[in-house]
Parts: sequence; C-alpha cells; structure tokens
Amino acid sequence: MRVPYSWLLDYIDTDISAEDMAEVLTMGGLEVEEIDNWASADGEATDQVLITSVTSNRGDLLSMTGVARHAAALLDCDFTLPDCTMPRGGEPERAEHELTQGDSQITIEDLEGCPRYSALRLVGVEVRESPQWMAHRLEAAGARPIDNMVDVTNYVLWELGQPLHAFDHKLLVNGHIIVRRAESGEKLMTIDGVARELTENDLVIADEKGAIALAGVMGGTDTEIRERTTDVLIESAHFDPTMVRRTAQRLGMASEASYRFERFVDPNLTLRALGRVARIIEQIDAGSVVGPAMDVRSEDFVRDPIVLRPARTNHLLGLELTTGEQVEMLALLGLESEPEKTPAEPPEEELLHPYPDHRQALERLRVSVPTRRPDIEREVDLIEEIAIVYGYDTIPATLPRNTTGAGVRTRRQKLERRVSEIMRGAGLCENVTYSMMGACDLDFLDLAEDVDQRDALRLRSPAAENQELMRTTLLPGLLSAARYNVRQRVEEVALFEIGRIFVPLEVGLPEERQKLGAVCMGSARTSTWNLPDEYQEMDFYWLKGIMEQLCERLYIDDEVQFARSTHDSLHPGRAAQISVGRETVGDIGEISPAVQEAYDLPAPACVVELDLEILLSHARLLARYEPQPRLPAARRDLALVVDDDEKHTGQRLLNVTREAGGEFLERARIFDVYVDVERLGQGRKSVALSLSFRHPERTPTDEEVEEAMERITHRLRRKLDAEVRTW
Amino acid sequence: MENRLKKMADAARSALRGASDLEELEETRIEYLGRSGILRELQQGIRDVAEELRPRVGKLINRTRQELEKIVEERRRELEEQQVYERAEENRIDVTLPGRSGYIAGRHPLMATLDDMLEIFLGLGYNIAEGPEVENYYYGFEALNYPPDHPAMDEQMTFYLGENTLLRSQTSTVQIRVMEQQKPPVRVVVPGRCFRRDTVDATHSHTFHQLEGLCVDEGITMADLKGTLIAFGRGMFGEDTRVRFRPDFFPFTEPSAEFAVSCFACRGEGENCRVCKNSGWIELGGAGMVDPNVLANVGYDTERYTGFAFGVGIERFTMNRHGIPDMRLLYSGDMRMLRQF
Repeated sequence: MRVPYSWLLDYIDTDISAEDMAEVLTMGGLEVEEIDNWASADGEATDQVLITSVTSNRGDLLSMTGVARHAAALLDCDFTLPDCTMPRGGEPERAEHELTQGDSQITIEDLEGCPRYSALRLVGVEVRESPQWMAHRLEAAGARPIDNMVDVTNYVLWELGQPLHAFDHKLLVNGHIIVRRAESGEKLMTIDGVARELTENDLVIADEKGAIALAGVMGGTDTEIRERTTDVLIESAHFDPTMVRRTAQRLGMASEASYRFERFVDPNLTLRALGRVARIIEQIDAGSVVGPAMDVRSEDFVRDPIVLRPARTNHLLGLELTTGEQVEMLALLGLESEPEKTPAEPPEEELLHPYPDHRQALERLRVSVPTRRPDIEREVDLIEEIAIVYGYDTIPATLPRNTTGAGVRTRRQKLERRVSEIMRGAGLCENVTYSMMGACDLDFLDLAEDVDQRDALRLRSPAAENQELMRTTLLPGLLSAARYNVRQRVEEVALFEIGRIFVPLEVGLPEERQKLGAVCMGSARTSTWNLPDEYQEMDFYWLKGIMEQLCERLYIDDEVQFARSTHDSLHPGRAAQISVGRETVGDIGEISPAVQEAYDLPAPACVVELDLEILLSHARLLARYEPQPRLPAARRDLALVVDDDEKHTGQRLLNVTREAGGEFLERARIFDVYVDVERLGQGRKSVALSLSFRHPERTPTDEEVEEAMERITHRLRRKLDAEVRTW
Repeated sequence: MENRLKKMADAARSALRGASDLEELEETRIEYLGRSGILRELQQGIRDVAEELRPRVGKLINRTRQELEKIVEERRRELEEQQVYERAEENRIDVTLPGRSGYIAGRHPLMATLDDMLEIFLGLGYNIAEGPEVENYYYGFEALNYPPDHPAMDEQMTFYLGENTLLRSQTSTVQIRVMEQQKPPVRVVVPGRCFRRDTVDATHSHTFHQLEGLCVDEGITMADLKGTLIAFGRGMFGEDTRVRFRPDFFPFTEPSAEFAVSCFACRGEGENCRVCKNSGWIELGGAGMVDPNVLANVGYDTERYTGFAFGVGIERFTMNRHGIPDMRLLYSGDMRMLRQF
C-alpha cells in the first residue's frame, strides 16, 4: 500500500524522518519496500510515499490510521483518530436483518456473507470536483480522483480501512437494498465497464429489480454516482473474506475494496466510517446527512478476552519481562489487560515448568482484543505482539542446550554422497533437472504402451508445456540436457543425476524411488591430441567401466553382472541389464537410433539408469582389508578362436574357464578381442585370456598349473568348440 | 717394476679420464683392468720381483687397481650424466601441450550450497531428515495450521495431482512427518525439492530447493532461534556477519520472523552492490516458534514442549554467491556451466 508520509503524520505525534519511519515499520513487521518521492500531476504538491508490503494476516494495516496506530506503538508516541462521530441526527438505528427508514430499506438475506450492513443517506448533494487537498492525498495514495462523492468514500477507505460504496439513491428501485446470493446466470455491468455473469456463490447487493453491485468487490454502472446525482446512499458493510475472495478470483477482478475485505475488515468500523464520511461532507459542504444512519447486523461483534500468562511470554521468548512491562507493551497496541484472580492452589502441571520467576508463574492477565485484530486469537498471538513491540532485534541470542548429541548422516545419506563423489571423480557432471516430464518424452523414449514408465502421475495444471507428468525415469531430463548442450554446440556431454521418480500406487501417495541416471557422449578426455579414437570416446564400455568402479567403491560383495537385454529406448545389440547378486538394479546401453533422432542428438549417447535404493542395499560403508598375497602367482595366457555369437560372450568364456580352473586359478580376465575375417574366417573372433594361478598357502607346482591349463583348454574345446592356443 | 707400474698408472689415469664416451671408457678399462689387461700382466710379472719386495709391490698393484676402478666409476657417472642430457634433446616432449586426463567434475552448485549448510547444522547436533515430494493435503497444509481456503493452497500457487495430492510447496511438510515419528527432543534439518506454480524466468522457478530446520524440546526459546540462526549465518558467511530478524507471518509459526544476513559481497555497506541491491541485507528465509497448533497436531504436549523452525531458500543464495545470473541455468545441465564447479 502507498502511505503518503504527510498524511500519516496527521495521526501521530512524531518528528522522525520518513526514512527512519520506514526502518521502524520494517523492523516492526510492516515492511516498507521503498520510499517514493511523489509529485502531483499538477505539480502543486510533493510527498514521500512509503510503499508497504502487508502480510496476509494484518488487514488492519491497510489504512493510514492502521499504520499510524502501529507506528505509535513502536515509537511509544501519541496516536489520535480523526473525528468519526456521527453528526447530530445521524445517530444510528439498529435492526437484526431488515430495516426501513423513510424511503430507504435494507434487507440482509445472507447473514453469513454479510454479517453487518450499515448505510448513511445524504441529500442535497452537489457532485463536483474534490477540494485540492483531498485530490492530492488520493493521488499520492494511488487513487484517481473522480468526484467529491466517490473521492470521499475512497478517502475514508484509505484513512480508516473501511471500503465504502456510494449509490445514487434515486436509481435504487424502491430505495430497497437487498444483500443476497446472485441467481445463477444473473448479469451485472460493473463500473469498469465489463458485463459480468454471476453464480450462486457470488454475494451481491441488489435492489428490487436485480443486482446492482458485487458485494465487497465493485459497484455496478446502473446505480453509480453521476453529475446529476443529488441523493446518495453510502454503504459501509462487513463481508465474509472468503466469499469476497472467491468472487474476485473467479472473475479475475481485484479492487481496493476486495483486497481489504479478503484480509478482514473490522466489523465495528462500519459506523465510524460513516461518521467520518458525514464529517468530511460537512467540512467540504457537499450535502447533508439525513439520519439516522441505518445499521443492520446479526450480532454484537464483541470478543471474549484472552488469558495471557506473563511467565509463558518469558518462557517462549527467552526474556525476563515483568508483568507490568508486558501490560504496558500490550497497551501501546490498544490491548487492555487486567489481572485475573489467581487460584489459591495452582494446577500442579503449571508449576512443573522452569519459569524463571516462580511468583510470575501464577499470574494471569485477561487481555481484551479489539475486533480489528482477528489475527490475535490465542495466548501465543499476544506473546508475538509483545515480541514485536519489544523488538525482535532486542531479543538476546542463545543456543539451545544440546540434548540430542552429535548430528550424523544416516548410512543411506553417506552412501548417496559417495555415489556422487565417485561419479564426479569419473568425470561426469552432477546435474539437477526438473521432476516433471512430458507425455512426449515417453514417446521420444520409444516406450511400449504397457511398460511401467508409461504409468505416470499427471499434474492438474502444469506450469509449462511438456511438463505435465511426474517423471517415472531420469532419462528424459538427462537426454533433454544432452539436446540442450548440443544446441549450444557442446557435443561432449557427461552428466549424471541422483533424483526421485514417482510410481503411482493403487491407494495413497505414490512411491518415490531414488535413482541414479547418467548420459554420456563425445570425448572422455580433457584433450585428445595423438590419441587413437578408442581411448577417447565415452562409449558403452567407458560407462560400464564406471559402473563397475562404482560397485567396487561401494564395496559391494555380491556379484555384479551385465547381461544382454532388450530395452525399448536402447540399441537392441548394445543394451545390458545390470544385476547385483540376484537383484536387477537397472539398465545400461547405447540409445536406439529412434531415441537419438527424437532427442536430436548427433551421436548415439550412452545412458544408464539404476535403482539407487537397491544398489545401496548391497553396499558397505567400510572396506575390509584383505592381506596381500605373499606368494608369487604363476601366469599363463590363452588365446581362443570361437564363433562370434551369443553363445560365446566374454562372460561365458570366463565362466567356463573359471569352472574348469580349479582351486589354483585365482583370476581370469580378457585382455584382447579381435575380429579378422581374413585370418579367422567369417563369424569368428579371437579372445585372449590372461590367467593367474595362486594359492594362499603354497606356490602351485608347474605340474599343477599345467594340469589346470589342460582342464581349462579341454573344457573350452568341448563346451564352446574353441580353438585354443597357449603360450 | 715400480717405475713401470707408475708409468702405466699415469697413462691409464689420463686415458680413463680422457675417455670421451662410455664405449671408449669401457675399451680403456678392458685395456688396463680387464682379465688380460695391462695391470694383470704387471701382476703376473711379480714373480720376477725380489722376494722381499713382493709384498710391497703387491700392495702397490692392488692400490693402483682400486684407484683406477674408482676413476672408471667416476668417469662412467660423468659420461652417463652427460649422455642423459644429450639424449634428452632427442627424447624431449613438448611439455606445453595440454594434459590428457579424464575430467574430474565438481559438485552441482545447489548441492554444494546445501552441503555447506548441512555441515554447519550437523555440527550443531542436527540430523538430516527427508520426506516425500508428493504430499497429501494433510501434510501439505492442514497439519501446518493453514486455514482452509488459504490462498497458498490455490491451484494458481500449488501443483495438484488430485483432490488430495499435491507437490509440496515447502519442506515444512517434513516437520510433521518427523514429529509423528519421534518424541522430543527433535533436532533435524531437511534439505529438499519444493514446487510452486511459478512461471520459469531468470529469477523464478517452479522447482526449487529449501533447507528446513526444526528444534523441539523443553525450554526452547525464541532467543535460541536467534542464536542458532546467527551461528548459521556466521558459519556460512564469516564471523563478522550480522543477522537481522523482523516480524513476518507464517501459519505454522508464532511468533514468526523473516531473517536476513548482512550482505557478504559489500559487507553490509549497501553501496553499489548488485548482490543486495544496496540494501546491505540478503534475505535468507523465514523462521519462528513452532505454532502450538502444529505441535498439538502431532500429539506433543504444547505446555511442556516448545520449538523453533526455519526455512532457507537455496537457489537465490547459490546464484548470489557464485554470480549466476539466471536461475534456469541451475536446471539446464549446461556442461559449460557445470564444468566451472
């Protein structure tokens, strides 16, 4: 809200600068975002305007007097309200829900939506320009001056916070104001010139013919003040915040009135605001009041006092304020307290708590809270008010007594950090992508209709295109990032992400599973001069090597296996399922040509996606030391020529070798693979194995090693039809 | 005999010392010291020496052999050293060519910020808790004391998946889950992703990260909240950091505060500072004493236990401290950016 400083000073007795006032208010809970050096359009007036940002619970700060009252409490200086007394003859007449007064009548049909409707009749009105002082003030506050009638209602709105509306009384059919729900489809032309279609959820002000205003939001054109107007009815009502908000929101309209009603306007302000209108009309000589003011209300709007235990204040804030000090601070805010008689025998539980002052522990105050402060409902709300007046910055700083011991990461948290460290050490950048994906991503990934990833949660109103689903795989985020980089002409991509996917369940919240995903393409090295291509590329085997290293560094004991598999998104010949022990943990492979095309990538990227929770369930926090072998190993190499097919995978060759190796075979690994049609023939490949023989207790004899080699070659020949060459 | 020996030694000395490469040195060595070298010959000639002189001559021959062997060693070392230098030219590499290792990648800046913050709170005795990103209405709002119909719950602000399921708009939801699972004392921080229906631009994102803190025990005061956040501010930004608290409003805390730290870029001077836009302060987040309604919702005795909670936004702060101009970069996967961290 715009608060012209000279206007504010009408109500408080202080001589501090606008800048200092801004600081005091900001530290007192009313943020002043900036100070605008305002000059009027006619160049005749200037002012410093404080631009405040009001939290949603403090509707009482949406007026000059509201701000002034708060400032006076913070500064401990005098605060004076303007004259709001009803002039003689205007003294109000009250009724439960219907009231007739001369040729005016008010009926409230919906007391929930409108618990109070007050009105004042003005006659002999002369509609003309407002006096300059008023026009300037409104302009500084950000309201366009219109005519003296509208301007008076606006002026009082800004001054007291009570939204008002002026009707041309002669245009009200039978002078009868009816507050009711709109009929479905009922139409109203609001003063902004828009025809509105209403629903049964909208509260309207109507006359006997139809709706004439949207309650608390905006008036209609049919009954608005015009130049010929001489007879005016000023509305000053209290509307239900929720109803006003719903209507304003549904119709996409916000007004100064709706802004305030949504945040609650003091129901006891209606008559005071009318009194203020009457005083100003008198002052500017623009008409005369025909009393009495009408006041239709369903209740008294009186609040029960709240009990405050001064010791509780100190207990919660960490202060040592006396009861008297607390009473004074509350009084500054206009909250009156009186001591409650303390029971002779206080309830036992109240003495259990370590209040610093035991005598104070028994004291209780009954605090009366004005209706303008609906945010103060409980003892703790009063304590907050005391904290604000005392000053948050004055509260001391202490650390809580540690009763919980050292803070530690859980096993999962430690392991997850290690996964990130390993992946980064391997050269992949840690990435963070959105948790949403598009339905198009599932198509881009070429996923069949029945795969699990198709079953994704849908956002009711997504924030952006292609982000309407909660991700069921990390691949779209990673591949989209790869595409983004390629578009930036960066064709070397190595990214991983640790993040959640969302699996819908039959009932309740979805299952959120932590995944590890990675994508890579291009060179693995910082530079590649003179290096043969196979040393450069982040290809399948590069990524596989990292996954193997990851398992190593997680000290996984169970066997980690890569088995050829099919996956909709992956190249049918270059995809593997990764398993640890008996559990499947994920997939690795080169993306299929279709996926490559869908993500517009210049090369077939390699990807991996693992279920981190399963993987980490096999991990260990600590490595266990194994002693170095003391005895030397005997080494032998073995070259095989076998068919280049699914039956003769490297894994199979190794498995057969190991089975046949016996107790001395410590390790077998592949160190060379090649295909050469001329030398090996069509469909054949050569695989070289390096074997090492060792026994923890003794060195195997040459004969023993030869025997084992014999068994191995025999088995390879028999089972795999291998040509075997040893050396 | 002795004369011959001396002459031979002189010649050998100068020949060995004068050898110009290892080959010549070896030849010379064989010539004098080899199995059938000159010294050997002389040694054999000892039979012709008078009996009484033999020990003396024998000693002399041995000394000469030792001396000459020493000279060979010395010269060999000299020549070898020389050779390394000479061959170095032939075997030289261009040390200015770029290195060819694999990359070592850094922590994502958002994660690095969270790490730094978590470090401080681990040190203050906080454990790290996590919770679901998809929440129901109860944990998302109701248990946090939001009145029904609060604007934050609006479809304009919050992502809904169904009537009762939504994406959490703050990590505060985990407060409830933690307190449901454990009795006081509670001391946890919760890092995590949150979602609000914001349009994505340079300073807004529908996805963002927060760090939530919660401390509930007997006798926890607002002064404790201040002390904790001051310790946090100083841990993050240095010992001379000042922390500012001012009233704010959140449904789940009472009293509530906004907290800010003195700007780390201009040390709070607020002049020509782009980081704090000349205010001298950087707003970090919201805090307050846990509302008794929230404690009651999880079945805690609100008379016995009090507590504080706070929430810190990660994105803006990360951008500030690294000078990242656009929030979208953090989620882009831009290799050029990520390789800088």
